[in-house]
Amino acid sequence: MNILLRKVTIADPVSAHNSSVKDIFISNGIIQKIADNIDDSADQVVDGQNTTVSPGWVDIFAHFADPGYEFKETLESGANTAAAGGFTRVFVLPNTNPVVQNKTQVEYIVQKSSSLPVYIQPLGSITKNGEGKELAEMYDMQASGAAAFSDGTNPVQSAGLLVKALQYVKAFNGVVVQVPMDKSIGQYGLINEGVVSTRLGLPGIPAMAEEIIIERDLKLAQYANSSIHFTGVSTAKSLEYIREAKEAGIQVTCSVTPYHLYFNDEDLASYDTNLKVTPPIRNKEDVEALKEGVRSGLVDCIASHHLPQDWDNKVCEFEYAKAGMLGLQTAYAVVQSVLPDLSANKIAALFSSNARSIFHLSAASIEEGSQAELTLFKASGTTTLAKETNKSKSSNSPFFDKSLKGEVVGIINKGNIFINK
Amino acid sequence: MELSTRHLLGIKDLTKDDINLILSTAEQFKEVLQRPVKKVPSLRDVTIVNLFYENSTRTRMSFELAERRLSADVLNFAASSSSAAKGETLLDTVNNILSMKVDMVVMRHSASGAPHFLAKHIPAAIINAGDGINEHPTQALLDAFSMREKTGRLEGLKVAIIGDIMHSRVALSNIYLLTKMGAEIMVAGPPTLIPKYITDAFGIRVEYNIKKALEWCDVANVLRIQLERQNQPLFSSLREYNIAYGINRRLLESLKKEIVIMHPGPINRGVELDSDVADGPFSIILNQVENGVAVRMAALYLLANRQE
Repeated sequence: MNILLRKVTIADPVSAHNSSVKDIFISNGIIQKIADNIDDSADQVVDGQNTTVSPGWVDIFAHFADPGYEFKETLESGANTAAAGGFTRVFVLPNTNPVVQNKTQVEYIVQKSSSLPVYIQPLGSITKNGEGKELAEMYDMQASGAAAFSDGTNPVQSAGLLVKALQYVKAFNGVVVQVPMDKSIGQYGLINEGVVSTRLGLPGIPAMAEEIIIERDLKLAQYANSSIHFTGVSTAKSLEYIREAKEAGIQVTCSVTPYHLYFNDEDLASYDTNLKVTPPIRNKEDVEALKEGVRSGLVDCIASHHLPQDWDNKVCEFEYAKAGMLGLQTAYAVVQSVLPDLSANKIAALFSSNARSIFHLSAASIEEGSQAELTLFKASGTTTLAKETNKSKSSNSPFFDKSLKGEVVGIINKGNIFINK
Repeated sequence: MELSTRHLLGIKDLTKDDINLILSTAEQFKEVLQRPVKKVPSLRDVTIVNLFYENSTRTRMSFELAERRLSADVLNFAASSSSAAKGETLLDTVNNILSMKVDMVVMRHSASGAPHFLAKHIPAAIINAGDGINEHPTQALLDAFSMREKTGRLEGLKVAIIGDIMHSRVALSNIYLLTKMGAEIMVAGPPTLIPKYITDAFGIRVEYNIKKALEWCDVANVLRIQLERQNQPLFSSLREYNIAYGINRRLLESLKKEIVIMHPGPINRGVELDSDVADGPFSIILNQVENGVAVRMAALYLLANRQE
């Protein structure tokens, strides 16, 4: 298949064509030509007016619930959701049934995704059955295609075990991904502890439950001289600890979710179960600190934390609702809405190149001869998630029918082009 | 005059006018309850279901009595002896009940926000009879009614709320109500039972010394230790709680003044209150129970009339 992109703006800091407006000709999945005017005949031509092209976006934390919970999401529906959200590559959580903890399960996901529009790479479980007790076969999983290692929504609690995991993965350049959460503090909490939780009569989860795990795990990473990535970082102080650690040379990187940038705990006044997430939505000061962290570059990536839940698990009493919200399809538009001044290069870094470098993926750079793994987006466009456009099997999103800034035009991946609409 | 809300989900949503309206209507109903014929026809043809997902003696009986005295048709539901015990969801249960043409729902539930959830999904008017650790609005209204009856005022009244503040919906509703009505509030109890952000949230005082709290206040609203809602140990033993925070006759007599003792029930005798206080001359605990019927009649009457 031949694809011609006309007059697209290139956002790729490592490309010689960065920030220029060019035509790009793609044939059989390879970028053949980048020039001012290309006249080659193509099966599909995209008019690139106001459209930016960046290396394909990577989401490092999404739950496709397959196998085990296919009524919430499948690899197929998840892949279509990701493609519509501009992602060419997704790391999926191991919290399936069975847990992704050996080569067989990794291969199931990798192979099944070969016919889907996006690359799906599992996060292999750090511990057997994700129980936080014994190390899983991480070496074998990485060799089979696991992107990194995490116990996903059930993060490792034991410091002794985590330090061993950090040491163990060094031998094969593995990266440990943690959702920072001490489960013994605010164990029965439902939302961020603070003025709002007190006023709403909901048990709180203190910010400290996240911060002491960050402090602790940073020490463990320093001791092991190994790489750790925190995802879903949600408090101002957490970012402060990460900044200090980065300055001290500890191998730490982090990501935040779009929803932690968009909502604050005052939005929970109506007990909206779609806003029940882990870590919880924090207060206004935290949200401002997260935004500043994204602007300054302290935050390396945006992670969708796409966590589908079926109707029964969300349309119920707040206490009984399960945590999580959809994220892939609205991730970019949410970020563009709360941080409208981010440059195209910054978007490319947050959604693609930083994750590619942290997790040792191909750069997918926009150069002649490279594999075409690209995302097309328009900062000037708008996005409104609707029932008809939602690709996920679930619908637990607070963004339905909300007009957001920015629009994903489509992706070019695996030799094909997938355009929204 | 009518209420500004369709439901009574919490004191948080009420205005000062709403509260005054309910209290003054309750005064009229209290007068009705002194008559030989205590029944009025106000809610004839109105069907009310009492939906109790948590155990209750006082509140359930008080609501039922209030409903019957207003001539409403009453349906009682206890989760433990119904299909909820078979796993039916709250929404399914309520929709099934509503399809039998029920006009109002009185609900007690162990999850905070459960009545708010219901209000989003069903057309009937809802009265919250206690949700989790959030609110228990009719209790706060009857407490206020009783305080005002005994002391003659709410504005400027010094009220100490004592005990398990963290797990108490009575505390939160009282705080909302008394703040709106201009009373001064202090919460007192062990630090593990007082929410960390309570001063930031409401601008009220916190005291860990029970004697100082009693010396400060005009009214002590003593709460029940909610053992059933504590998921982890928050104090060492009931014995120690009684020594440090329990109120007995000797403690009250050591104060240089008389204060009013209230308790929403059920009392843990010998824990938060000793019997010589609960049954003593300073206690208005049984007046609270009596006033509960009138206050609930007022709330039901005002909400039902608003619907029409």
